[in-house]
Amino acid sequence: MRRYIAQRMAAALVTLIGVSLLIFMLVRLLPGDPARVIAGLLADEREVERIRVQMGLNRPLPQQYALFFTHFIRGDLGTSARTGQPVLKELLARMPYSLELAAVSTLLAVVVGVAAGVLAATRRNTPLDYLISLGTLIGISMPVYWLGLLLIILFAVKLHWLPAAGADQPASLILPALTLAAFSVALITRMTRASLFDVLGQDYIRTARAKGVAQRVVVYRHGLRNAMVPIVTVIGLQLGGLVGGAVLTETVFGWPGLGQLLVNSIFSRDFPMVQGLVLTAAGMIILINLGVDLFYAYVDPRIHFS
Amino acid sequence: MNLLLGLRRHRSGPMLGAGLLVLSLLLSACGSAPAPASPSAAPAPTPAPAGPTSFRIAIGVDLDSTDPAGQTTTTVSNLLDYAVETLVKLDKDGNLKPGLADTWQVAGDGLSITFKLHSGVKFQDGTAMDANAVKFSFDRLLNPDVKSPQRSTFNSIKSVDAVDPATVRLNLKEPAPYLLAGLTATTSAVISPASVTAGGNTMTNYTTPVGTGPYSFKEYVKGSKVTLEKFKDYWGAKPYYDSVVFSIVPEAGTRETLLQAGQVDMIILPNTPDIPALQKNPAVKVLLASSNRTIFVALNTRDAALQDPRVRQALNYAVNKEDIIKNVLFGAAEPMQGPMAPSLFGYCQTNAYPYDPDKAKSLLQQAGATNLSLKFMSPTGRYVQDFQAAQAIAGYLDKVGVKAQVSTSDWPSYVGAITAPPDKNATQMHVLGWAPSFLDAQQAMVQFQTDNNPPKGLATSFYSNAQVDSTLAQAAKEVNPDKRKQLYCDAEKQVWSDAPWIFLWVQSFPIVYSAKVTGVSFLPNEKFDAIYAKPQ
Repeated sequence: MRRYIAQRMAAALVTLIGVSLLIFMLVRLLPGDPARVIAGLLADEREVERIRVQMGLNRPLPQQYALFFTHFIRGDLGTSARTGQPVLKELLARMPYSLELAAVSTLLAVVVGVAAGVLAATRRNTPLDYLISLGTLIGISMPVYWLGLLLIILFAVKLHWLPAAGADQPASLILPALTLAAFSVALITRMTRASLFDVLGQDYIRTARAKGVAQRVVVYRHGLRNAMVPIVTVIGLQLGGLVGGAVLTETVFGWPGLGQLLVNSIFSRDFPMVQGLVLTAAGMIILINLGVDLFYAYVDPRIHFS
Repeated sequence: MNLLLGLRRHRSGPMLGAGLLVLSLLLSACGSAPAPASPSAAPAPTPAPAGPTSFRIAIGVDLDSTDPAGQTTTTVSNLLDYAVETLVKLDKDGNLKPGLADTWQVAGDGLSITFKLHSGVKFQDGTAMDANAVKFSFDRLLNPDVKSPQRSTFNSIKSVDAVDPATVRLNLKEPAPYLLAGLTATTSAVISPASVTAGGNTMTNYTTPVGTGPYSFKEYVKGSKVTLEKFKDYWGAKPYYDSVVFSIVPEAGTRETLLQAGQVDMIILPNTPDIPALQKNPAVKVLLASSNRTIFVALNTRDAALQDPRVRQALNYAVNKEDIIKNVLFGAAEPMQGPMAPSLFGYCQTNAYPYDPDKAKSLLQQAGATNLSLKFMSPTGRYVQDFQAAQAIAGYLDKVGVKAQVSTSDWPSYVGAITAPPDKNATQMHVLGWAPSFLDAQQAMVQFQTDNNPPKGLATSFYSNAQVDSTLAQAAKEVNPDKRKQLYCDAEKQVWSDAPWIFLWVQSFPIVYSAKVTGVSFLPNEKFDAIYAKPQ
């Protein structure tokens, strides 16, 4: 196991180097002059040129990458061209918000999604199953933006129960978490329903029932555990996407997460910030994928690492 | 205990446990929900405040810099104006009034300006505001190591002398009659010299501004909010609220809901189509503040199809600006009557281009420009209803036989396209807005100076008229205000006639605030003025 983890970490480093080169080139392919965008329309050419030099854009591309890479391997992600602050400092200021939102919404999605999926799988082709399927269809189809605004209008404007936006109170987390969880709940429900139904049709499940094992034990101990691998995969993918930032949700709710920061940085051509954010997101996704793989071994002892 | 043992025995225990955890998290969060507000209730008389009071404002952009010298965004400058002040300020009509300077005197040759400072003024860190502090602030502003994109306004300053503690003199390289107006910009705010090496600040990385304003900078949570608290030793009239909280809420619809839910007291820039409904809502008040931002369609005068001024004039006659303002902008603009906003010094009303499609067709015919097909670019969301207005403009042009193909892109790509050098510039028509950082024609008329054509500057119509260049160069150094006004007027009339733009409108600056507060006003440079807001 330790060797497996070490190999995965080594592969992760190679992946990050590849991502760094890719994102370095991609941002520089974007049209527009970053120095002019950051300086604003009213700045004269002299100030624009100063910013260009400060960003290192006057140097040849290989030199720019070499500078970026040597700082990166020392853990220095550079300085934001827009704010003049260290990229790492800006990231760390926003990361707790993204992690908090991702964790709570994923937890909510897992609890509700798996429960609903189990209900649907064990009551297939009943009105409850149809209702849950309809719910998942709505959850997958509903635009995040629209759902978020609806929840704000209902819970903040009409009922005055919750804050409409911001992140300065614990209650501020509720609406964005619910909004974000809607799609994940639908996805996890569907995956659980399909995977569990598939497992419940296996011979050993029939044997267990024939032996008089209680339905709850059949479903949870024998069924759900064996159905978990694809479910955990979906959860891992969802979580990986969310820790990188949920732009629409963050925008609607004014949630100061990484997603909004990334979009703002792209639109202001803040190359160091974009590079830093993408590398951080890549790193987190790698870690989550490793966690998911290790979790496979826990839920399914048949899985070995080599 | 039995419940816990029961949970451990069942495989569903972890699931139930997780569910309880989530439920408890959500319920505990619910317990901290804000007190209900009643947006539709009539304003009640103001009771005496039971505790600290706070005025809450929702804005749409995060701070790029908290350094007054580093400002590029009007909204952020507006926020910093609560904490820092300038030598000279603007009144609501756009006229200069005393700020930290009580009086000023421009030398006869225009090569210096002497300011007498207000006495007894303290910075928020307790140090005294004096001539040395002013000198320090300007020396810092002019320091090339300090990032200041809007420094160019002050490049005419050669040196600053602290004549005595209450007198400071700006020595100029050449006459700069626009400079007094320029000194109203937040960029030139006076900061505490001691603060530059305290509280995590450095000369080039100034993150916690310390000024002389009525509120001091307390906290900035990136991407979330800025909190300022009342400065007890402020030299001027004391504001009502103990603190001001700026919430950063990028989505306009969410800002509106925050106001309607009573969770903020004021917002700026709501969704334009919502303005009529907000105007009818008795719980809020809508202020369509006049601003200095002109919106226009720049016409590439180097393009073969647009070189003839009759074609450009025709395009002006072809567009019904009043109709677009009413139906697309919902009244949030005033038609342009000159090549700049009326609030600027040097503004001169010229002849209008009224909606006259027949005249447009006639001019096009005279110019031999039939079956014109033009590429028309517009940003989306940069200005009020920009893309929607562009589509409406294309519709009007179509009626006079001009096919305008509207396209859009993200802002950086857009700026890159319109500022490309002449040999690479493929634009023909594009929407642009221009809001000078100070209310003087000097910064508005740069749009018509040959020297500012791309790639050097942002005069994206590539307009070039030697007479206009000469007049503007003269005006920039003319110390007599009346002569200066006349020079600008001459230039403006020529520009209006040459029509390098389709002159559209001066955009309003919508401010919406709770009917429970009063004292919210605006300045004509696209800023709200709510420092002296108070409950009704």
